[in-house]
Amino acid sequence: MPDPILSLQNATIQFGGLVAVDNVTFDINPGELFGLIGPNGAGKTTCFNLVTGVYKPTSGNILFKGKVINGIPPHKVAKLGIARTFQNIRLFGALSVLDNVVIGGFLRNQTNIFASMAYLPGAIRETERLRDQAMALLEVMDLADEANGRASDLPYGKQRRLEIARAMATQPDLLLLDEPAAGMNPQESEDLMNTVRKLRDDFGKTVLLIEHDMKFVMNLCERIVVLDHGEEIARGVPVEIRSHPEVIKAYLGEAC
Amino acid sequence: MKFWAVRFGSIGLAVLVSFGIGMIAQGSSGTVSRLLALAGLYVTLAVSLNLINGITGQFSIGHAAFYQVGSYTAAFLASILLSRGVISNLGTPIPWVLVAVATSLVTAGIAGLFIGLPSLRLRGDYLAIVTLGFGEILRIVIQNTPQLGGSYGINSPKAFVVPYVWMLTFLCVGVCRNLLQTAHGLSFLSVREDEVASSAMGVNVTRVKVAAFVIGSAFAGAAGALLTFNEGFINVNSFTMDVSFIILTMVVLGGTGSVTGSIVAALTLFILPEVLRDAPAMPLNAVLGTLAGIALLVGTIRLAMDHKGLGRSIWMPKTYIGIGIAVAGGIVVSVLANCLPALANRTIPSAELRMVIFSAVLVIMMLLRPQGIFGVRELGLKSFFRRANA
Repeated sequence: MPDPILSLQNATIQFGGLVAVDNVTFDINPGELFGLIGPNGAGKTTCFNLVTGVYKPTSGNILFKGKVINGIPPHKVAKLGIARTFQNIRLFGALSVLDNVVIGGFLRNQTNIFASMAYLPGAIRETERLRDQAMALLEVMDLADEANGRASDLPYGKQRRLEIARAMATQPDLLLLDEPAAGMNPQESEDLMNTVRKLRDDFGKTVLLIEHDMKFVMNLCERIVVLDHGEEIARGVPVEIRSHPEVIKAYLGEAC
Repeated sequence: MKFWAVRFGSIGLAVLVSFGIGMIAQGSSGTVSRLLALAGLYVTLAVSLNLINGITGQFSIGHAAFYQVGSYTAAFLASILLSRGVISNLGTPIPWVLVAVATSLVTAGIAGLFIGLPSLRLRGDYLAIVTLGFGEILRIVIQNTPQLGGSYGINSPKAFVVPYVWMLTFLCVGVCRNLLQTAHGLSFLSVREDEVASSAMGVNVTRVKVAAFVIGSAFAGAAGALLTFNEGFINVNSFTMDVSFIILTMVVLGGTGSVTGSIVAALTLFILPEVLRDAPAMPLNAVLGTLAGIALLVGTIRLAMDHKGLGRSIWMPKTYIGIGIAVAGGIVVSVLANCLPALANRTIPSAELRMVIFSAVLVIMMLLRPQGIFGVRELGLKSFFRRANA
């Protein structure tokens, strides 16, 4: 059994009287495709925000590769090797598709700002390197043809893929995808499923994803944790989750 | 090898052009020489504010404050040098001017650091209020500090700085352009686009904002130092809120984020009032009629442009009717104005007319091209601004 890449240990966050995430504990192993599901308002995105340093847990710990990362600011978390996408797409809309991905790679930039201000060869090389890396990622995500277009001009499905490309550019070990298939048609989400698998198989990324598209989650994820009202109500492999009475109750209500 | 040849070539060219402008200034009247210096200073101010406002998206409207910090640093330094007998009243030697410029660069940069720090917590209008307040506080503090000349101001020996003004301008433009071509510049733009996403991508938003403020205000400070030696006398009236707003207008008019836009808008907004200074006095009713006509015309075109979004040309029948109404409306207003005893047979002197025209141009711009002259695009010699931020 390898050491988990990410562990939540009794992670809890309270906003005033509301306990958005309540005592959530789970481990993700390296190379796993892990699903986090639950009805609206269950605290899934808040979990992401805890892991990426947007919020600091009220109590409990978050460990990444065995190190506690509670309260580390988001840009440092990104540097440690956790990248995310957003539920409500947050691209750099006015910038080109390529530049969006270049910014993702910027955190591993080797030059300082003075070299960039003077446009020294080192800064140029570094920018070229990031641009090449970004282009390669756009190929992987099937966006190479759109590289010079404005990010906000892309159709919805491609914007979601661009967010993944941008997150990949930070060279993460753990990729957090917040509803990657939202708003996609069946064909697009099928393609996305293959892409996410490829990220794991070919690039060795661990993936934690939130998704409402049950077909997507059940087909893709190897293990799933279900949250409701901030608490874990079930966990297991997709087959178990599908027939779990608590999960059915949470999604469909008591009467069913 | 070729890289360095191009690099030194362009630096050499910039120096040469600066001295060329200097020679033109030397050969012409004092007024033209002064205008040439001020034009360069305004371009520097606009481009440096564009780095903060347009590129990094931090809405600062107190740029005159940094200009003032630089200007007073230089004046204070000159007064010390004067009292020690290092320089004479006849003029400041260029090496000392350059020392003063470097000092002002640093002091204004430090001031930028102090203003950049609160900007980490504030955004949008709140930051705007802080920067505005900073400018006003600074101005009033200086006005009440006798050691800095109080409300009278400080005299400092003049120097012929036109070439150095333009070298600073080229430097400022060059730095912004360089930045935008590298990944660092993209990190600045990403902060403007989405702070949450940039920090999730590992961009240190705090550092980017502070860097933008420090660089932007350092250039404004250097410009201030050159102003001091160009004018030979400065007081707080040169750094009022109006100056901040003019600089801000230049940035917005040029298209926030576009370096080329800032340059063109700065030159236009600086030259336009100067050219209009010689405009003849106009009858009031004609001015009112023209304004009414323009207002209707602009409204028509704006409406047509909104419809164009539906895949139509703006030249549809309704547009022609609108133009007709605009012309008729203008004539009607002009005739009516002449019938009112209070308005009839009056003229507007050119000094006031130019402010009317100036304002009208701004209003028209904002209605017809709210993204500014250049939007976010850049324009220039082949590769000079090749791929900027769009």
